[in-house]
Amino acid sequence: MSVVQRTGESRNWYLPGIAGGLVITMKHLLKNLLSRKQMITLNYPEEKFEYSPRFKGNHVLTVKRDGSLRCTACMLCATNCPAECITIVASEHEDPSVEKYPIKYEIDILRCVFCGFCEEACPVDAVRMGPEWQTPGLPGADFHYGIDKLAYRPQLKGGIATFVDDEERHKAGI
Amino acid sequence: MPKCTINGQEIEVPAGSTIIEAMHGSGQHIAHYCWHPGLSVAGVCRLCMVEIEGNPRVQIACNTAVTEGMKINNTSAKVKEAAKWGLDFHLINHPLDCPICDQAGECGLQDQYMEFGKYDPEMAERKVKKHKVVDLGPTVVLDSERCILCSRCVRFTTEVSKTNELGIFNRGDRSEIGVVEGKPLDNKYSVNTVDICPVGALTSKDFRFRQRVWYLKDADTVCNGCSTGCNVKTYFNREGLFRVKPVHNKDVNGYWMCDEGRNLYQYANREHRYVKAMHRENGAWTEMTPGAAAKEIAKFVKGAGDKAALVLTGQYTNEEYARVLQLWSTEVKSKKVYHWNSHEKTAADFDGLLIRGDKNPNTKGLQAALQQHQLSGTWAELEAGLQSGQIHTVVVAGPENLQFAADFEAKVALINKAKKVVWMQTAKHAALEKMSTDVWIMPMKSYLEKDGTFVNYSGRAQNFKRVTTIVSEALNLTEAMELFAGNQLTIRPQSDVLVESDRPADRVRLEHRKKNEFVFRRGPL
Repeated sequence: MSVVQRTGESRNWYLPGIAGGLVITMKHLLKNLLSRKQMITLNYPEEKFEYSPRFKGNHVLTVKRDGSLRCTACMLCATNCPAECITIVASEHEDPSVEKYPIKYEIDILRCVFCGFCEEACPVDAVRMGPEWQTPGLPGADFHYGIDKLAYRPQLKGGIATFVDDEERHKAGI
Repeated sequence: MPKCTINGQEIEVPAGSTIIEAMHGSGQHIAHYCWHPGLSVAGVCRLCMVEIEGNPRVQIACNTAVTEGMKINNTSAKVKEAAKWGLDFHLINHPLDCPICDQAGECGLQDQYMEFGKYDPEMAERKVKKHKVVDLGPTVVLDSERCILCSRCVRFTTEVSKTNELGIFNRGDRSEIGVVEGKPLDNKYSVNTVDICPVGALTSKDFRFRQRVWYLKDADTVCNGCSTGCNVKTYFNREGLFRVKPVHNKDVNGYWMCDEGRNLYQYANREHRYVKAMHRENGAWTEMTPGAAAKEIAKFVKGAGDKAALVLTGQYTNEEYARVLQLWSTEVKSKKVYHWNSHEKTAADFDGLLIRGDKNPNTKGLQAALQQHQLSGTWAELEAGLQSGQIHTVVVAGPENLQFAADFEAKVALINKAKKVVWMQTAKHAALEKMSTDVWIMPMKSYLEKDGTFVNYSGRAQNFKRVTTIVSEALNLTEAMELFAGNQLTIRPQSDVLVESDRPADRVRLEHRKKNEFVFRRGPL
């Protein structure tokens, strides 16, 4: 930051500066009083700012049509994660067409840097960065978000459906 | 000895060898799937194409013998074109399931695709769907869709294990690897088929889905499962050990290893290990650090004379035996050393390929060490000494791989007769915790956590290096005996750690840099 150094007599006078500052304050006060719609202050937490849908907030694990997890536990997100905050434990699924699925998918949300690399690495649209950005918690709260929180938290209303459908791919001969 | 020129390099090869053998021997790279140095030639993958001077068309290297003055080239555009189209045919029915395939990261198809791939498939037809997750037997799972029908596994079961379980069924693009109903792939070498599978068609049930291969580091060592002493590679990360694969050694194990040996890594993982020293006194167990326990033990072991007996198993290294026997005679001043040979009766058994009846890796080494110190105590003497109460204290270096120690419980019951027992043990065993006398259990390092030498059945000494440290609290046999003898453990300075360099970061050798040891190299961000 550059500081303007005034020279001469005027530097001994501080009252003009105070008056100038008050003018700016009064200008904003009057502007906000006259047109409240343009006022940019929000009454948080009653009012909340709406971010763009592309905002990279808390992660969401998408689900298939039957409500089960889309994730195939390929661990590409965990490999790509620069903060190493993703832990996945894979297991064998009963259905041979599913084959592999995560029995544990955990994101250490305090360690996450919200870079979105997991979303980019995912080959099956299983992990997305959602629009939620608030991560409050009392002391002692668990910030290791598991499958319950990532895929089925109440805000998601039963889960976000994925774009990639195995049955459709199967029918298309892929 | 014909001479030939491969890619401009003149080499001399043994008469009758094929081009691919010549290239393999001279360290030149050639794409291949179906050829394996330990198996017969099938010539089905058509990927090892080479151009031979004077020949209008490309030929397969695996089934063409080298002749005098042959000029071979596998870097020309014509060869690359042939490999590219060959690879495209392999991928016609190959599913795009690399994310859930265990082979991803060490897959032949992925590797070759990076080099020869067409990157632009032209097949308009649908992929032929085959069986997925086929249970071939107790150890192996098959995914027919991923299979490229190289027939390596089929040739393995016919030529090496000679059990003939696997075969190729159906014809054309519906061909599948399979087993006959009621005759599963169940032999003692079955997991070798997983190793030689160049794609992810055959996967091991034990390793399946447990780790992605790029999270694993590997290190070479010697298997301690039996007296053959197969050369193996262990795969591990900071969570523990995950699998074992054979390493080629033409004098010991060839290209293979047995399934029993592959499961031996399990006992070395932390959940199966003693981590703290345990002492049983007045019917209750107390835990303490191994160093503190060793100092307590030193109070009654050092200078105990012939009241104390040492029981050794053939599962420790030559270096440990040498130091331990020396300390036992000079510091403990006892001549009573006994060899617990758990497989004396079956020692001569051999199944014709690799598995031997003596399940101790270093019986020969122990026998030699005992002979050198002129110790010839027999097991009967120990039994008599325990009965009569002459032997007061027994120090046991217990077996590491409990899987094969069938007489473990009987031996524990026998040694329980002594007044004081010091049992040095790697893996947990319920029988030890049932002992009723004054027992000290010392946690020991497994063979994967120390350097040493094993002498195998034929007297071949094989040196191995430390793989990793799993239980850092544990002691090795030398350290434990030094402490029992009242000595201090000295930390030897490692002279090979530092090197001269202008950059401070390079002054520590690469293998000693622990930082980011297990992190996959992702390059500069």
